[in-house]
Amino acid sequence: MNKKLTIVTVLLAVVMSLPAMAQEVEVTSRQRLLEGVEGPAFYPVLNTTGDRLLFTTQDGALKYYDFADDVTTVVTRDYVAGHDACWGGDGKVYFVTQQTGEDRLVYRTGHSYDLATRETATVTEAKHGAVRAVPATRGGAMKAPGRDYASSADIGNAAWTEGSRVHVTVNGEERVFSPVDSWAGYLWASLSPDGKRVAFFAAGKGIVVIDLRGQMLAMLGNYEMPCWYNNDYLVAQNAKDDGHQFTSSQLLLLKADGTWQAELTKPASMSMQPTCGGGRIVYTTIDGLLYEMKINIHE
Amino acid sequence: MKKNIFKSMMAALLTVMAVNVATAQQPHVYINPGHGGYDSDDRNMVIYPFHQGDSAGSWESKSNLRKGLALQEILQRKGYQTSISRVTNTTADDLALSTIVALCNQSGADVFYSIHSNATGSSAVNNFPMVFYRGYTGAPQVVNADVLAADLEPYLYASQSTVWTHNYQIWGDWSFRPEWGTQGYGVLRGNRAVANLSEGSFHDYIPEAYRLLGLQYCWMEGWNISLGADKYFNRLGNFSQGVISGNVRDDRIKRLQENPQPFIVYGDDNLMPIHSATVRLLDDNGTEVQRTMTDTLRNGIYTFKYVNPGTYTVEVTEPSHFTQTAIVTVNANASTYQNFYLKRVRDTPPVVLEYSPVWHEGDPAVKCSHPITLLFNWDMDSATTCSAFTLDPPVEGNFKWEDSYYRLVFNPKDAFDVNTLYTLTLKKTAQHGGGTPMDEDFTMQFYTQPRNHLAELAVFPYEGAPVHIKTPTVELRVDSLLDTYNLFQKLRVLDSEGNELAWNKRSIKYNKNGDDYGFVRIPLTRDIEPGKDYHFILDVDIADTAGIHLPAARDIVFQGVDAGMDKPGMEVVEAFENADDYAINDYPEAPASLKLATSTDRLFGSKSLQLTYDYGDRTSFLLTHLNGTWNASFVRGDTLGLHVWGDMGYTEILANFSTSGERVSVPLCVVGFHGWRYVTAPLEALSPGEEYGFSGFTLRRTDELMGKSGVIRFDNLLKKASSGINEVSIAGLKVKCEGDYIVASADTWIQGMELLDIQGRSIKAAGGNCLNVADVAPGVYLVRVHINGRAATSKVVIK
Repeated sequence: MNKKLTIVTVLLAVVMSLPAMAQEVEVTSRQRLLEGVEGPAFYPVLNTTGDRLLFTTQDGALKYYDFADDVTTVVTRDYVAGHDACWGGDGKVYFVTQQTGEDRLVYRTGHSYDLATRETATVTEAKHGAVRAVPATRGGAMKAPGRDYASSADIGNAAWTEGSRVHVTVNGEERVFSPVDSWAGYLWASLSPDGKRVAFFAAGKGIVVIDLRGQMLAMLGNYEMPCWYNNDYLVAQNAKDDGHQFTSSQLLLLKADGTWQAELTKPASMSMQPTCGGGRIVYTTIDGLLYEMKINIHE
Repeated sequence: MKKNIFKSMMAALLTVMAVNVATAQQPHVYINPGHGGYDSDDRNMVIYPFHQGDSAGSWESKSNLRKGLALQEILQRKGYQTSISRVTNTTADDLALSTIVALCNQSGADVFYSIHSNATGSSAVNNFPMVFYRGYTGAPQVVNADVLAADLEPYLYASQSTVWTHNYQIWGDWSFRPEWGTQGYGVLRGNRAVANLSEGSFHDYIPEAYRLLGLQYCWMEGWNISLGADKYFNRLGNFSQGVISGNVRDDRIKRLQENPQPFIVYGDDNLMPIHSATVRLLDDNGTEVQRTMTDTLRNGIYTFKYVNPGTYTVEVTEPSHFTQTAIVTVNANASTYQNFYLKRVRDTPPVVLEYSPVWHEGDPAVKCSHPITLLFNWDMDSATTCSAFTLDPPVEGNFKWEDSYYRLVFNPKDAFDVNTLYTLTLKKTAQHGGGTPMDEDFTMQFYTQPRNHLAELAVFPYEGAPVHIKTPTVELRVDSLLDTYNLFQKLRVLDSEGNELAWNKRSIKYNKNGDDYGFVRIPLTRDIEPGKDYHFILDVDIADTAGIHLPAARDIVFQGVDAGMDKPGMEVVEAFENADDYAINDYPEAPASLKLATSTDRLFGSKSLQLTYDYGDRTSFLLTHLNGTWNASFVRGDTLGLHVWGDMGYTEILANFSTSGERVSVPLCVVGFHGWRYVTAPLEALSPGEEYGFSGFTLRRTDELMGKSGVIRFDNLLKKASSGINEVSIAGLKVKCEGDYIVASADTWIQGMELLDIQGRSIKAAGGNCLNVADVAPGVYLVRVHINGRAATSKVVIK
């Protein structure tokens, strides 16, 4: 390569990198939620419009908070129900309870909760093994051994993981992808708000973004619990531990194409379990303090 | 070929059917081998011969993985469904805690085992199993997590291949780690399965670290966890095979302490594990069923896996030991433990190969502290050897075995007598570890030196010494150079309640080669309190470099005093703030080796006067005022007070007074102390009716050995004018405080008594020899007793 060409190449690289370097995020507010109203709260889940928030109390009750009414309501007091609860596209809450059966096997039951009637319905009978609630754009589903449940014939699009596979349902068609090797498995799959991409976590590899055909678009780093902030950005957790307990947990903003990331909380913080919806970001802390964060992204 | 394949497949199928009786619903166990990747969140025990960071050495991630993989294999064989969070040991599969929890939840597992080993993280060394679940102890967050732990722990604790120091423990993590609040262990937090975190043993117990290096030992922990799962799921009757495991050790040879630092061992772990022993499992017909070997990783562990129930013989062979066998019974789905203690092959009688001290007629005498050492050709039987050992004349002492009973050391309890010929006889009844006695008696003789104890030259504080409260310094001086190894641990200062005061170890001074005497000098890190008693303890085993120790331990009581406290009634004659005001005048010239300066180590004002001296060939010198006179005059009956910072150099300080042609020197003190001290002298030696000028101090060397050079500091020189009542010693004066009265008695009639506080302020007075103190607060006071125009002062404690 001659000298002129080298200079031109370097200049071009600098110019191309300028937009990315200029990009920044501003945390405009950080506000405690339910302070003085609720004790420690964990596993927050915002609905897609961001006006309602599921969370689990220290004693295991699953509740939701309505931002408009500023009211919290108990969905169930069944202990583990909130650990993987989700909002269906139909506005219902889908959750799983568990009971100990014969010879101490654990049986799990799928439920839906209707906010309007405040009634809980059993959608899958008690089954031994994995029973999991899956949010869909127009409803909710329950994946259970032997018999799955769907809230309607057309629940829209959905994404979930099972072992080292990510399942994507598009217009009733289920597609299964394994774009990266991961011995331990995939977790935390979610559709982008526009429904065109899926983000999930591959254990040992990190956050992966694929399109609806399973084509890998980006790997965003070895962070956990990704949630879509909007179509272009995700929020994720970067937790560290000493093998026994957490030593830090930081929230990051990740550009979905993998070209940029920024810190939303300090590296030594204990912010975790982020959830996004309707432009809101909510997270909790190691001791169960819920926060709502607002950000401005300058591109 | 096809026929053979079919046969093999059928055989395998039958075997599986024989041992697996899976129910229609398989329990699902999620296995999490803790840590991973040899990273910073891993635990590396550095044990010989491995270096820090060597992945071949002891890592918690490695043994956890081996246990986890074993548990997975065993549970699958028992008909369980399993999931496992990692199968290799790399950074990539060292998953975050919340990832592990989410994977377990997604798997739908019934139970979750996070497999770990423990460490005290301190100098304490323990070894026992612990299991944790989320929540408070007795109140698990997930139903039955406490039951799962209770079902597991007895199986872990049943292991007889290890040495436990305590019973097992089961904890809710919120109770065990209250400082974490309800954060708890990360892999239990949010885990929907019935979850336990198992700390199977302590890897910082070094023998356990060696065991955890072994595949067979880790496999056994996996097996024991599987028994816990079987118990929990009511499946103990579902598996038809058992296991045998144990430890192969020498029956008396001590294990080698090959690590850089000696490590603590308990019980059978004191014995040497046998490497590369062949262990065979034989059925009733003597037919070999299984064969294994102990490894070379200093653990001696063997295991026979998947053994059908029945009675067997376990045979252990190793060339340097006699073969040993044991009959064992194997039960279905149970562990059988059989440890072996092999006897070494010893094929000749024992003899003494070397001994010490070696002494012959005409040789120099032997130190009285010299231990007697006998080195044998075999490891010896302690009981028969010690009872065969006689000394003439007899000496009380202690036996110590070294090098796994090959070397016997006898240390006299105190010291051998001086100038004595000793004869040692080891009778031929002494036996080696195999029981064979010596062929003949062994005898040796030695003659001892004329010195058998350290002589104490000086000590500070001495008994009853007043010691200034500011970070006092203690010192011991003896007649030969002290062995300084850990010497500071053999001296202690205790307060009156027995609490030990810390040394300032950075400022310890020891004797060094070439010094005229042995010494150790140590300051305390903190101040002591005035008016309180303290103890300076000297251990009897403080010894010189030849091992000659003190004749006895010492417990020296001293008192804390504030040398800088106010002295009511005393006027400051000289403040010693400026070194330029003073001079050294020798007889007749000033030596160059004496230097005056000021020091910030003072009691009053901003400076003290510091005198750095080296007597050289001189025996004394004068400290005078540059102007030739000091701004004070004294008469008989006055009192002179001086604040002196001492160096324990035993310089005598005398105050010099002069009047027309007469010169009087009054002894003030001998500097046999460290730190500040207030010294006084009544000027009774002055002639009545004469007024004297103060002309300075004479400093006189009193100790040829210890007072050659040093530093002395001076602060406020005080004068108390005579009150007309002379402070003198009164013959036979005794002052007692009993009940509500202070009572004085003396050889003569007592006029009256005055009670003063410790600052010298008068509190009350009375005529006669009794003073009612019922209304006086308890504490330390002074009592001034007046007799015929004279007075004497005593300290008294009112309780």
